[in-house]
Amino acid sequence: MRTALKENYFKQIWKGISTTLIGMSVTIGHLFKPSVTLQYPHERWPMPEGARLRIQMDFDECTGCGACARACPVDAIIIEVLKAQAGVDLGETSNGTKKRLHVLKFDVDNAKCIYCGLCIPPCPTGAIHFDLDYEAMKLTRKELIYHFSIMTSDEVETLREADREAKAKAAAAKAQAAAEKAKAAESAPKKPNQSDSSS
Amino acid sequence: MEKENLTMREMDIPLGPDRSKLLGSRAAEVDIIEGDHMILNMGPQHPSTHGVLRFELLTDGEVVVKITPHIGYLHRCFEKIAESIPYNQVIPYTDRLDYLASMNNNLGFALAVEKIMGIEVNERVQTIRVIMAELNRIASHLVSFGTYALDTGAFTPFLYAFRERERIVDLFEDVCGARLLYNYIWIGGLSHDLPPGWVEKCRDFCDYFLPNIDEYNNLYSFNQIFIDRSADIGVMTAKQAIAYGATGPNVRGSGLAWDLRKTEPYSGYENYDFDVCIGTGEKGTVGDCWDRYMVRIREMEQSTRIIRQALDRLPEGDVKEAIPKNFRKIPEGEVYMRTEAPRGELGYYVVSDGKQIPYRVKCRSNCFTSLSAIPEIGVGAMIADIVSILGSIDIVLGEVDR
Ligand code: SF4
Ligand code: SF4
Repeated sequence: MRTALKENYFKQIWKGISTTLIGMSVTIGHLFKPSVTLQYPHERWPMPEGARLRIQMDFDECTGCGACARACPVDAIIIEVLKAQAGVDLGETSNGTKKRLHVLKFDVDNAKCIYCGLCIPPCPTGAIHFDLDYEAMKLTRKELIYHFSIMTSDEVETLREADREAKAKAAAAKAQAAAEKAKAAESAPKKPNQSDSSS
Repeated sequence: MEKENLTMREMDIPLGPDRSKLLGSRAAEVDIIEGDHMILNMGPQHPSTHGVLRFELLTDGEVVVKITPHIGYLHRCFEKIAESIPYNQVIPYTDRLDYLASMNNNLGFALAVEKIMGIEVNERVQTIRVIMAELNRIASHLVSFGTYALDTGAFTPFLYAFRERERIVDLFEDVCGARLLYNYIWIGGLSHDLPPGWVEKCRDFCDYFLPNIDEYNNLYSFNQIFIDRSADIGVMTAKQAIAYGATGPNVRGSGLAWDLRKTEPYSGYENYDFDVCIGTGEKGTVGDCWDRYMVRIREMEQSTRIIRQALDRLPEGDVKEAIPKNFRKIPEGEVYMRTEAPRGELGYYVVSDGKQIPYRVKCRSNCFTSLSAIPEIGVGAMIADIVSILGSIDIVLGEVDR
């Protein structure tokens, strides 16, 4: 069935041996060439500029706009923000964008992240970027969630409390305004009458 | 030894029950004795299955009588996921289809969406895309060469193949920062421009790579032991290849010059000068494992030719100028875009209903269709030949299962 087997038996053996020897000569030639491998833990190759290895961010630069989280296809970035109260100045980022939001939480789940790099271009301040460290293994998945927010839980609680108070105040003020308005509305019908009668 | 150089039209492919006529004559050679058969499971963890694929082999001694492939172990719902995220976020998922040829997968999807949105990209983008697609084709064929050698019992070629692939991957890393899943070709452009000095590096690579192909041939392609293991085995005639929808090196190995880069040029492929390599039956029959293998080796040479031409003509331009700011206003419509990935025709059928996310995405997988031919061409072969046939078909399970 196989054409190869129909040929001369000894010719076959010779062909097998000779072609193998040609292959071996290629391999032996490499004994005298420099090696192409690196002994990894002792030697390392340099990482190129734009290597996509691990998400890092400058928390001071972040305005909390959430553009990166919206661009992420796997929702690896979780951001929680709180609007700053009137009169509170949060400063500016290095490129002059004014910060208006407290970033309470900025978590990047490196176990979820697929290192696609889609979150980098939308960032208006360049806060989020990749770093060149590739030895980021951890023992548990929990440790792979990077918490970038520098706020302590106490601070977060205080801010939330203040926000709640402010909201309550605003709500109260609103209610008061509404009540006044209702009062005004109550007294209002009389006014046209008065004006009617007067005219 | 009969050559079949037919075009698609000249060939009449019987449909329905008539297909059984196509069943290889080798099936008849097997003397089936009822009750003497044994079922053998190959996979899902078999080293030759290139991933997780299970074959249920009905064997009669050493001869395989029936093959049933079981797939789906790597199913990840690509199509459904694509229907739930904006167009540009689908690109990283396409990386993960055929993970050995991510650039080509990116390219197909980007071209499909560009067709819907009516985006025209400039010359520079097109040229860089061609360079990347061809580099990735070489890288993918190198893996195929290396693993096929592993399957057929030789370890060394694998190391040689990966030595060269490493340099290609380094080139990719310089450009986009990733080594396997690039997310480089975006809808309307590219994620990064070429870094300074990259063109020279790429030229160096071409100069370095071409002589190595001879090395592979000396090392392995013309090794008599390898020829005995691949020639005249797993013969897929041109008719069978078309009937099963096999594309890429598999159909070209059967002697049919079908290459989408020539027949339906995209991304400016019509401007390049290259040959379509086809199987010639040098060592056995047209369409055997050796032919399919050799088509890949020869294609690497042609790809290098294309890369050199592209590097010579690389025009200036902004690679990001046509990238849409957002994906809110997509025209309604549907489009099927097919490209020549290293493993064959990779098609994306995208339906848009005007919303931010695709209404439907269908991916026409090339490995899946090629794999479907194995139950036919493998019947009558020895068990060890199945390994050889599978390696020559060159599937990536990530693409079969999607
Ligand atoms: S790199 Fe991709 S997956 Fe990772 S956080 Fe950024 S957008 Fe999300
Ligand atoms: S896009 Fe940039 S500024 Fe906006 S939330 Fe993300 S890191 Fe912060």
